[in-house]
Amino acid sequence: MEKKLVIPGDFLSDDVKLADEGTYIEDSKVFSSVFGIASLKNQIKVVPLSGKYIPRQGDLIIGIITEVSFSNWIVDIRSPYEGLLHISEFPRRIDNSEMSKYLKVGDSIMTLVKDVDSIMKVELTLNDQRLRQIKDGRVIEVTPSKVPRLIGRSGSMIAMLKNETNCNIFIGQNGRVWLTGKEKNLDLAARTIQKIEKESHIPGLTDRIVKFLKEEKGIPVKGPAKRKVEKEAVKKIEPEPVQEMTSEETATEETPREEAEEPGKVEENKSGGILDELLDK
Amino acid sequence: MVKPEKLIENGIRLDGRKPDEIRPIKIKVGVLNRADGSCYFEFGGNKVIAAVYGPREVHPRHMQKSNSAVVRYRYNMASFSVEDRKRPGPDRRSIEVSKVSREALEPVIFQEYFPRSAIDIFVEVLQADAGTRTAGINAASIALADAGIPMKSLVSACAVGKVDDTLVLDLNKDEDNYGQADMPIAMTPDGNITLLQMDGHLTREEFKEGLEMAKKGCLMIAEMQRAALLEKYSSLIEGEVNE
Amino acid sequence: MSNEIMSELRKDYIYNLMIKGEREDGRKFDEYREITIDTNVIEKAEGSARVKLGDTHLVVGVKIQTGTPFPDTPDQGVIITNLELIPLASPVFESGPPREDAIELARVVDRGIRESESIDLSKLCITPGEKVWMVFIDVHVLDDGGNIMDAASLGAIAALMTAKLPAQRFGVGEDTPVPMRDVPVAVTAVEIGGTIMLDPSLNEQSIAGTKLTVISNQDGGLSGMQKSGVLPLTTEQINYIVDISIEKAKELREKFLEI
Repeated sequence: MEKKLVIPGDFLSDDVKLADEGTYIEDSKVFSSVFGIASLKNQIKVVPLSGKYIPRQGDLIIGIITEVSFSNWIVDIRSPYEGLLHISEFPRRIDNSEMSKYLKVGDSIMTLVKDVDSIMKVELTLNDQRLRQIKDGRVIEVTPSKVPRLIGRSGSMIAMLKNETNCNIFIGQNGRVWLTGKEKNLDLAARTIQKIEKESHIPGLTDRIVKFLKEEKGIPVKGPAKRKVEKEAVKKIEPEPVQEMTSEETATEETPREEAEEPGKVEENKSGGILDELLDK
Repeated sequence: MVKPEKLIENGIRLDGRKPDEIRPIKIKVGVLNRADGSCYFEFGGNKVIAAVYGPREVHPRHMQKSNSAVVRYRYNMASFSVEDRKRPGPDRRSIEVSKVSREALEPVIFQEYFPRSAIDIFVEVLQADAGTRTAGINAASIALADAGIPMKSLVSACAVGKVDDTLVLDLNKDEDNYGQADMPIAMTPDGNITLLQMDGHLTREEFKEGLEMAKKGCLMIAEMQRAALLEKYSSLIEGEVNE
Repeated sequence: MSNEIMSELRKDYIYNLMIKGEREDGRKFDEYREITIDTNVIEKAEGSARVKLGDTHLVVGVKIQTGTPFPDTPDQGVIITNLELIPLASPVFESGPPREDAIELARVVDRGIRESESIDLSKLCITPGEKVWMVFIDVHVLDDGGNIMDAASLGAIAALMTAKLPAQRFGVGEDTPVPMRDVPVAVTAVEIGGTIMLDPSLNEQSIAGTKLTVISNQDGGLSGMQKSGVLPLTTEQINYIVDISIEKAKELREKFLEI
């Protein structure tokens, strides 16, 4: 079996060269360090079933302002470590006295992890026009380790979800998910994301989600004409959340049939590029 | 209570167990919503619940370690957990139990992965029936795994003791009160001892034999801990397949 | 640790739902979350109950032992209610002696039981001036999902109703049930933007400006109230809450606390 449920200390392999995340090596053997799903295919890694978000440079995340200090906004990023957004990382020059006018306690932001040092001081930035305060829609939370499954292989899951729910969806690496769209569609998207989170470890996820969405919408057969109209309506929604891509995904489920004609795809490729642009600076 | 005349008769203990038998165990993983990981553990008449929060920010800040997480363990007995109501709050006993329990778990936790953070373990004894610290460690180790904390392995704990000159595994209340020795241990599945306490009288040979007995007890518990963790997710899988 | 910060977006979401007449979990404004009560869960205690009210989860243990009466009430037993918000139950609870929130909760639960005269204290007297029953009600909160008050109150009364005076153990006769003569039930309402809702969830509780707990008895009379929170309530709001609480208490009593 290439995937299995393991607990800390479970023996995984004799080949220490293949050891990856969620494992440790002792006496030239590879063991699991977490309770999670082990995949033994190429690299040996274990994806934990729960756990906190640990920030890394370049992560696009969603934070909530918890404190405004003299020159920093202190930001909850669902991590053991708070994020610091320095006044100079705000897109425009503002005075210390005005900080709360722009971002106050309780405000949500889509932000980028600019730097993480060895003692886990986390610096954030808003210094890119695609990063911004989140003023509308809904933010829901999922276990950070399940973010790759929510995105799906090459973004397939999230593309399908956007298409089927007519919502714009941005997934932060810290497991906060920003949804915008019509209220009714937001409810469906939120429910579906919760289902994906709960069942992410069970094989055949994509098929089940496709089935779930169809049942929820009460559509036994799809009506393409109707969908097109709705889609156009959604495109007008501003701001348009960007979608991050991940290269870590190793999901084995089949890609959904709809994927080829996916309109969200273009947007994703574009936004995947945002990350590279930001990192190149 | 009065001391029973005999604690063991024809090789059978008062509760019907053989000397090397442990009491029934019931485990449920993920019982609390707010905690990052949790476990309910029944061990004979002991009912304990463990919760893990973290890694999270350390307050007060001066407790932070710049190169690793601090692990904190709070063992607490509910006032109604014992025959005579216990005054709420920590006492000298619970502070000692908290310390040795924390040290029983620290060796398996990859603390260095989370500098400047805290991993908080809270163990509440809802009902006490001899062996609360071992029940607490067993529960806490599962709660840590449930919280997604990276660890080398689980830790399992079990006591061995001596009653009527016979070594017995996992003392019950009478054996604890009137026995000749009590020795709780905790260990990793590969046999490293992470907690060892002893009080009473044991000969050197009894100690060695007792330690081996306790280790066997721990291995049995380790299997149950594993099964309970896997069960949390496997039940969901079956439910889905049947749908 | 500080209080939890809730995002403005979430607040807006709940507020907007409320305007539409809805709640986050789909309940009606006067609807309680699912309640389960199991009694006799702690064999070591003289009485016990485990209550789940939505995501809120707690255990109440009643310990009863003999003691000396207070000098001013030599022929009456003693009730002592204690509640602790232990750090196991929430990321914002801290170790240490109970703080004002926990003490307030304990005192309101206590008041309901005491002032409703639900326990006949004179029947807790063993020898006047010398020996009486001391009833300790300890509320152990395991998971804070909001509205601990009502869950604690339900648990305390359910535990008392199944508790026994351990007369045998103390050599003063046969075990008998705790002499109960009323069943007080606490109902808590919050006010959010002018709307009153019962049994607040954690999110609703943290947005709400103020809370009002009304404790009523079998005959519909009141035996305790507590307003908690900084925002004022109007007379109309208070009257409305009192009326609806008495109705709701009756419903909860019939459903969960039938002897």
